[in-house]
Amino acid sequence: MKKLFLCTCNKTLDKILDFSKIEKELAKTYDEIEIVDNLCVEEGLTQLAKNVTQDDCATIGACTSQIIGIPVKRKVKNEYIAFVPLREHVAWVHPEGDKSATNKAIVLLADAAVRLDHMEPTTRFQENMVERVLVIGGGIAGLKAATDLKRLKVGVTLLEPIGQNDAAYNQNSQFMGDSEDIAEHLEVLNKAFSGVERVQGTLESVDGQIGSYEVTWKDFKNVLSTQDFGAVIIATGNHQYLPDISKKCRYGKSDRVVTLEDLLQKSSKKKSTILVVTDPDVQMHQVEGTHLLRSSTILARSGNTVFVTHSDIKTEDEDLYRDARESGVIFLRGSVKQVKGHDSGLTCRIDNTLESMVRDIAFDTLAVFQMVGPTAGTANLAAVLGVELDDRGFIKTRYSKMKPVHTTRRGIFVAGGAKNPMSLSKALISAQNAVLEAFKTVRSPLQRSGWIPVIDDETCDVCKACVEACPNDALRVFDERIVHIPVHCEFCGICVSSCPTRAIEFQAHSKESWFARIETIARTHKKLEKNKPFTLVYACSECANASIDQAGFANKTYPTGTYVLQFPCAGMVSPIEILKGLVEGAERVIVVHCPPSGCHHQSGDHHSEMVVSLTKDMLREIGQDPERVRVTYMMAATPEKMQKEVGLHG
Amino acid sequence: MDKRERLIQKIQNIAVKTPTRTLMVPEKVEGFGSIRYRPPSCSACRKCIEACEVDALDIEGVVRLPDYIDAVIPEEGFRSKNRESLVSLLQTLNQNGETQVVSVPTGLPGYGSITWSAKKCIACNKCVEACPEDCLTLEKTYDLVSVVGDVVVPPPVKVADWEPFIICFVCWECSHAAADLAGLMHLHYPTNIRTVRVPCSGAVEPIQIMTALENGVDGVLVTGCLLSECHYGGDDPLAGNFMQADFVNFWQDMLDDIGLSGRLYIDFASAAMGIRFSEIVTEFVENIRKIGPSPVRGKLEVES
Repeated sequence: MKKLFLCTCNKTLDKILDFSKIEKELAKTYDEIEIVDNLCVEEGLTQLAKNVTQDDCATIGACTSQIIGIPVKRKVKNEYIAFVPLREHVAWVHPEGDKSATNKAIVLLADAAVRLDHMEPTTRFQENMVERVLVIGGGIAGLKAATDLKRLKVGVTLLEPIGQNDAAYNQNSQFMGDSEDIAEHLEVLNKAFSGVERVQGTLESVDGQIGSYEVTWKDFKNVLSTQDFGAVIIATGNHQYLPDISKKCRYGKSDRVVTLEDLLQKSSKKKSTILVVTDPDVQMHQVEGTHLLRSSTILARSGNTVFVTHSDIKTEDEDLYRDARESGVIFLRGSVKQVKGHDSGLTCRIDNTLESMVRDIAFDTLAVFQMVGPTAGTANLAAVLGVELDDRGFIKTRYSKMKPVHTTRRGIFVAGGAKNPMSLSKALISAQNAVLEAFKTVRSPLQRSGWIPVIDDETCDVCKACVEACPNDALRVFDERIVHIPVHCEFCGICVSSCPTRAIEFQAHSKESWFARIETIARTHKKLEKNKPFTLVYACSECANASIDQAGFANKTYPTGTYVLQFPCAGMVSPIEILKGLVEGAERVIVVHCPPSGCHHQSGDHHSEMVVSLTKDMLREIGQDPERVRVTYMMAATPEKMQKEVGLHG
Repeated sequence: MDKRERLIQKIQNIAVKTPTRTLMVPEKVEGFGSIRYRPPSCSACRKCIEACEVDALDIEGVVRLPDYIDAVIPEEGFRSKNRESLVSLLQTLNQNGETQVVSVPTGLPGYGSITWSAKKCIACNKCVEACPEDCLTLEKTYDLVSVVGDVVVPPPVKVADWEPFIICFVCWECSHAAADLAGLMHLHYPTNIRTVRVPCSGAVEPIQIMTALENGVDGVLVTGCLLSECHYGGDDPLAGNFMQADFVNFWQDMLDDIGLSGRLYIDFASAAMGIRFSEIVTEFVENIRKIGPSPVRGKLEVES
């Protein structure tokens, strides 16, 4: 039986919405309608559990599924449940309590009934994981990751580049922190390290999927070794390089021009005047800034007169700047224009942008400040591993705020400076995070459940559009067939949007179901509201939906006649759903995704932008107003965005 | 350069007029045709491109909206249901008479249109067989306009003491014997022909005919055994001379359109028909004499 449960939210919603009208209008849609006062408390939940049997399906019209969904799922063992956030999407945003708010509730509940018709149980799957992790790179993060994994009793192999030299490594990592700290940490890590399998070689190939990556590497004798790993941690770190300004500074041409690192190593007793030069064209990371301040302070404290040219210094610790000033370091905002060498020293022409003055100043020594970039070979490594790089060539993380150690490929993590320059303490924390993720991955069989894309080989043309569209490498071509790798799938549905033949359909979200839902919304709306225009909002279930819920919490009211259809990801929307909405009479269709490059599924935001752009072009050609379709982003922190977007046209 | 490319190069070399027609390809002529593409049902799967051995097909990132709008969706629908939905929704929303193609954003998979090159296609039908969506068909037409392109008309030819120069391909069965017999019978025919003996009239390749014309020959005559009496196939419809008759028809049609009418001719004579052979030659030489020297000579002069 199809049942509807309406919650009055402690007798508040029924003051705004006309529950008796809802009951009357939906009497034919649902077999049974029940009004409960507090569905979220124990009493309400028990009543719900009693009334929803295994043979039933039910719509719950209450608060957002983010709130009510959790206790309901715990209490009611039935997957055929649709949630309608009557509180956040209707009552709280249309608080005048007029007729149209009730009408909107009826439309949404009628839509939920159609959703129930197309509901399918989620697919569950389980994969066993190889309990062994490959750590690539034997620097601070790599050693830390390997020792921690060993402590967690997980098998671990450390793969280092051929000819790894710990002493040289130590010297190259000075920018990460205090030099004694670094030496101490390396010593501790190396001690704890005994017993870990440590090999030197270059990565040749990586096949397979999360939980069972088949990794092949080549050692210095060109012998190939292959082993299976459940997860991989990239800890290749970074290296320092000379910025372009070093040429202008006559680096390599004059003995008086050295790198800052070399100058620190030398520890000359003779007091001299030193100019530290930074490249104004490269944006400095705060780790680099910290290192710059720390090094200049050391030089000044040993009696030198130190000048630093800079454009912008970022630091992790404001006190370091103060220390530097107190120790006598002089900061010049600007850059070096010209360097001339003569017997007694160097004359540097400095363009001081703060004073708008160009001046020649004499120095004994010029120290070029080195920048930090990804280790040479990072690009090759990334290509073999199948992970993406960011603009600067560092390993790209999946979602910097929420998934800081996840690369773009599942089961491959990044620790330490391989993703951006970082300090010693940050690198150690990053390694710990990566270890935890890798540990979670390999420790127990991967169990997941969700609605997945289902491929029909009969109608598939193997055009590979879905393979190209999938951001997670979850669809692959095998034996002239498209194969779904469930452990890589994130249930986003971007693949479905790109399929030209409808050979790939998302469980519970088939094209037919969208058509039926859009038709139902349009029909019910027209019946209740006659000619009043309506807007369809195709929102992703992550940021966009949270933002629309938030609009409710924050009482950011907007006009009725706005119906939100929740897609797993905005990338699942294809021109077909948009055009269908317009054909059914929607005045506007708004596609909403997560903030740019903040898509929870990596490419859904960009994909939906492209889909809408194509749809608009087509609409323009067939003589329709392309402005009827809009694509935008919303995030939970900006509840007024929804108000603004739909308020524009009503 | 492959053979087709060379042939087309030669056709372009001998063309003295910009072609205006799409030729009909006679029944037995293989290797020449046109691929008709129906974009609405195409899923852009590239199967046809993979199947094509001569790179005549490619994909471009556009949606051919005019074809979508004009498409008639069959009762059972397209095989690609998502395309069907897209096309029918666009048709429903259409309010415009004239639509243009729309380009697909770079990086958006699943869309695109097939392009076809008349110059490269060898009408092998492999793409049609590979297409899972039934959106390609091979048609018996030849898009001469796009194969030849624009032609610069050469200056008129004036040759002092012009005598027609004619290449005559004779099959080494009947028609060569007929030429021998004409000699044995002391029959007189003009001296303007040079015979080239070939195994069968069906063995004369288009590229040979075009090479002759390209070199300024005023006419090409092909002779074979009597129809239904070909030594290689007899009365089989695919016998050498039956096939060549259709081919010559096709080439005559083409030569008409590029300004070389009447310069290619095929006829048939059995071994016992020495008199007929001399008549064929005499008539063809007379005809060529009437239409004058080959305009390709003008082209050759310009080039030299």
